[in-house]
Amino acid sequence: MTLVTAMTSDTAPLLLRDHFANGDPGPLVGVLAQVPELCDVTLPFIGAALGASAVTGRRKEIAIVRTSANLACRFCTDTHTVVGADHGLTGQELRALRGEVDIDAAFTSRAERALIDWVDALSLGVGPVNPLVAVTAKGLLGDHQLVEITVTVGATMMLNRLATGLDLPVSAATLAGLDDLGLGALPPQAPTTRSSRKDLS
Amino acid sequence: MTAAIREALATGELLDRLWFYSNYHCNLTCSYCFTESSPSTPPQALPPDQIIRLAHQAAELGYSQFGVTGGEPFILPYMVDVLKELAAIGSTVVISNGTLFNGQRLARAVELADHDVAVQISLDAPDPIVNDEFRGRANFDKVATAIPTLTAAGVHVRIATSIEPDRLDLEQHARLCAMHTEWGVDEADHIVRPLIARGRAADEGMGTTITFDEFPAELAVSVDGAYWGPFGPGVTNGVGDTDLLLTRTIEPLRVPAEAMLRVAGGRPAGSELAIVCA
Repeated sequence: MTLVTAMTSDTAPLLLRDHFANGDPGPLVGVLAQVPELCDVTLPFIGAALGASAVTGRRKEIAIVRTSANLACRFCTDTHTVVGADHGLTGQELRALRGEVDIDAAFTSRAERALIDWVDALSLGVGPVNPLVAVTAKGLLGDHQLVEITVTVGATMMLNRLATGLDLPVSAATLAGLDDLGLGALPPQAPTTRSSRKDLS
Repeated sequence: MTAAIREALATGELLDRLWFYSNYHCNLTCSYCFTESSPSTPPQALPPDQIIRLAHQAAELGYSQFGVTGGEPFILPYMVDVLKELAAIGSTVVISNGTLFNGQRLARAVELADHDVAVQISLDAPDPIVNDEFRGRANFDKVATAIPTLTAAGVHVRIATSIEPDRLDLEQHARLCAMHTEWGVDEADHIVRPLIARGRAADEGMGTTITFDEFPAELAVSVDGAYWGPFGPGVTNGVGDTDLLLTRTIEPLRVPAEAMLRVAGGRPAGSELAIVCA
């Protein structure tokens, strides 16, 4: 149950009507549409940050699925597992990115392993990326790819918190896609009990 | 972009009146109210200093007129002062149900006689029974007392009559016109407009369904955001309408004005709602 109302084609604000012209654009756009002027600039940014560019769609999806799994975002992990498959990631690779099997067994490319290390450092850590990880990644990926992947990870983390915090539902199409891949959907998460000021449990 | 807004206001692509939803609560519970206002509605008031700030920003963009509506604006104790300040910036109309003009409120409202403010009072029929069916008990008597009192004091009063277009009764309409003329309200200040099927009117099966393309390009701001037209910030089943929402940001006013200009650019021309004036 989404914690805020997702807009539909009947309630879509004027600036965003094109996004709803062909039916339900999904809960992410639906909730962002609550703030039309923010949605208006966020969607192109998300498209640029998460879509294929100088960094291939496969590498972007590695970063997105891994980040989402690290942040335990059910919505983004499941959604991008299906998208990742469309970009050529195998079931074994997707399971590894979701933390279900060993990464080194699934990924043989040194560059992709360096990419995953970079993503883990960004999405699990709080300080600068460990120099050992950074040196390897710079050598195999180059500065511009590292910058872009860092933006991809940051944008994904933003979406992870948006989707998980607002409890966005995974779509039926995604669930069907996971089924086709022989992968299960992640279980629903319990509401957070963490607060800086008091124990909510 | 500011220059583009100014040009659009000058050419009429955007109408040069900015509407303020001063508040949403009202002492009445009209059966066709598209904001579902009532005495128990939370005020959701635009702070008076923000209204004035927005009016100055509007003037800088090229707006020359203001409208204030609600809810019932005159519930707010500071409304007369706000209207005076608005009128110093641009010609102002305030929409009122006309039932609160007695005692201290009347004394304050009379002060508007010296300012460029028109008080637009709703009156739907010349017969108390017909009028009060929609607007509540004793509404007609209060309005019939308030209007001549205000006009006698020199306040510019307009009358707005909301009708179901297919139920226009010409005999009733003629009596209403004779009545307001006697009260000192000119024909030019009598506005007859169709009931719009939004909010409570839609729930009651009343009013005409109007699409976005038919609403004039007037900007309206409330605490919830900026909207296309004064019918935009409506409420349906307790939830704010969003189909005419432009932006949640209302300040700086340039932000929603730019959004409105963008939307206006993609809109079919020549299909605006015709307001039928008597």
